[in-house]
Amino acid sequence: MNRLSLTLSRGIARVTESALGPYQSAVIRIGFAATWLLFLLREFPHRQELYGPDGPWSWDLAQQLTSDNHAFTALMWSAGQGWFEGFYLLAILSSAALLLGWRTRTASVLFMVGVLSLQNRSVFVGDGGDNVLHLMSFYLVFTRCGQVWSLDARRAARVEAARARGERVRADRLGPVLWAVLGLALGGVTLAGRFDNGWLVPALLWTVWAVLGLWGAVQRRAKSQEPWILLDVIANVLHNGALFVIMAEACLIYATAGWYKIQGSRWQDGTAVYYPLHLDYFSPWPALADLMSSSGTIMMIVTYGTVMVQVAFPFTLFNRRVKNVLLVLMMTEHAVIAVVLGLPFFSLAMITADAVFLPTAFLLLLGGWAARARGQLVRRGDGDRTLPPPRSAEESRPGRVGFTA
Amino acid sequence: MDAYDEDSQARHGPDGSTGARRPQDPGDREGSPAREGSADPDGPHARDDSGDPDGPFTPEGSGGPDGSPPLPPAPRTGVAGLSPRYQVGAAVALAVVAVAACVHLGMVFLSLAPANTVTKQHGKAIEQWVYPEFEQNWKLFAPNPLQQNIAVQVRAEVRMKDGSMRTTGWNDLSARDGAAIDGSLLPSHTQQNELRRAWDFFAATHGADNRPVGMRGALSEQYVRRVVVMRLYREDAISREGVIQRVQVRSSTTNVQPPKWSSEKISDKPVYRLLPWWTVSADEAAGGVR
Repeated sequence: MNRLSLTLSRGIARVTESALGPYQSAVIRIGFAATWLLFLLREFPHRQELYGPDGPWSWDLAQQLTSDNHAFTALMWSAGQGWFEGFYLLAILSSAALLLGWRTRTASVLFMVGVLSLQNRSVFVGDGGDNVLHLMSFYLVFTRCGQVWSLDARRAARVEAARARGERVRADRLGPVLWAVLGLALGGVTLAGRFDNGWLVPALLWTVWAVLGLWGAVQRRAKSQEPWILLDVIANVLHNGALFVIMAEACLIYATAGWYKIQGSRWQDGTAVYYPLHLDYFSPWPALADLMSSSGTIMMIVTYGTVMVQVAFPFTLFNRRVKNVLLVLMMTEHAVIAVVLGLPFFSLAMITADAVFLPTAFLLLLGGWAARARGQLVRRGDGDRTLPPPRSAEESRPGRVGFTA
Repeated sequence: MDAYDEDSQARHGPDGSTGARRPQDPGDREGSPAREGSADPDGPHARDDSGDPDGPFTPEGSGGPDGSPPLPPAPRTGVAGLSPRYQVGAAVALAVVAVAACVHLGMVFLSLAPANTVTKQHGKAIEQWVYPEFEQNWKLFAPNPLQQNIAVQVRAEVRMKDGSMRTTGWNDLSARDGAAIDGSLLPSHTQQNELRRAWDFFAATHGADNRPVGMRGALSEQYVRRVVVMRLYREDAISREGVIQRVQVRSSTTNVQPPKWSSEKISDKPVYRLLPWWTVSADEAAGGVR
């Protein structure tokens, strides 16, 4: 009994005093934001056809469907071209901001609004990749995903360094302005009665806005330290809860995909993988597909292997080594799917979802490489100006920031 | 991407519009000029006493401010640093988040699971929770992958500039999609999903007699019509030179032939589903994306 309570109190301490998995949450932030950003850029020439007011799924059709299913989409606020074009641009910008970790929390909210609005506007052009992004954009709002590898983190470090040198740190100006502008926008939309279709997303938007305001006020004014610690604890708890939900969601995806496959006769007779490779809509490289499916034995192994990996994955989380082996297998399979079935954005989204389970040590290594590559690029671009060498992964202290899953 | 690793332990604001300011640590609040946490001999003690020997998640002991009377070994953050009144708030938050996460995952699980005792009793509640924003479908190629190529084909009656009517031949729009995808590393949703899913939507909301089922049936009909009209104006030479009056759509379903190494035999004749002629409204004929 005593041990149980000790474990429990340790667990509570863990989930309240820090936002776990800073590198994992950063990598999924970057991954999902990049997927959506690349998708928006890829479809930029087709944006009118997919989401525009005069597209085949016209504004009127979308109006009828969304007033029936109450899905949130800001694109139904106006049928004007200007609003659509502006919104598409905003969606691109918010993805870029989230990718870079610029005002991460605000960017994540705008990112979610962009993803939900565009996808709910035209639900019949999406696929599994859109579905993953839809869910994850919502969950990301609750995470502190800008703790590392973000402009926010860099800014915080600079402020910290300046303070350590005893310099006066200028108060942040842009933050309150951004907050006020978004508050005005929310107020305007609410007063105009545009939030009348479903309560979930509007309630979330207002809540986040209010909490950000409270956060700023507490930091600035509170005489006591405690309100701020409480807010910090709540933010940590929310982050850890959301990260747990994200991981569980990834497990649900694989479990559903796997367990339903077991029931299929084609997955049982070992030919299932052959068929998608020969569908006109999923075979950009027919010769490659033919080559891959030339051996019945290989097809059977891939078919059985796919089912086994998908069904087994959630259970392997209890063993680090097996989990990492499966992660490699699944990421490889998705990379192959990206090319062979012509589903690059779906695959990128799935690989990103997998990445939440990567070990911290590996992510640090990755971060080190990225920083070094960036350093070299910057140096080459800057000619002979000397720059401090990029920080390598070794300088950091792996293990300190846990989640060595 | 910057790898500013030192920030991994930096506990900064909510990254939001107002959250740019880094929260100060207790030392700062109580007048300590600079942070000397790691050099402070009190640090390790503070860590040990926090009740969490696991280390990795314990914030670096920021220690007591220099010269001030020894502080209780409170960590910088976490519930241990709070008075009982605030601890209640933290406990409530923890409980709410834990319950919300579990309920949410339970609901999503039930929405994905096959129909069962619980979903039969509480189907309505599950639906209300999950739809529309948490809807998901992961039966990817399951239980069996699609084993047929379903092509959507269309022909049109076009009023030409001289007033005469001409009927186009069948345009195999899906075949064109397939050709457009060939050799592409980044197929567009317009090629891969638009027509394919429009037809899925239509088929799912129409009976075998091609009558629409419910409001969505009517919507899907308009949608398919708008897609094919847009495509005809873009891709069909005759349509481009006149105004489309009526369109007729059919689907052609062909089995994917079994692999060479299989002994299965399947018909390779396409099966057609012919829809009645649809009148194209002036709005559909004129407007839209070209």
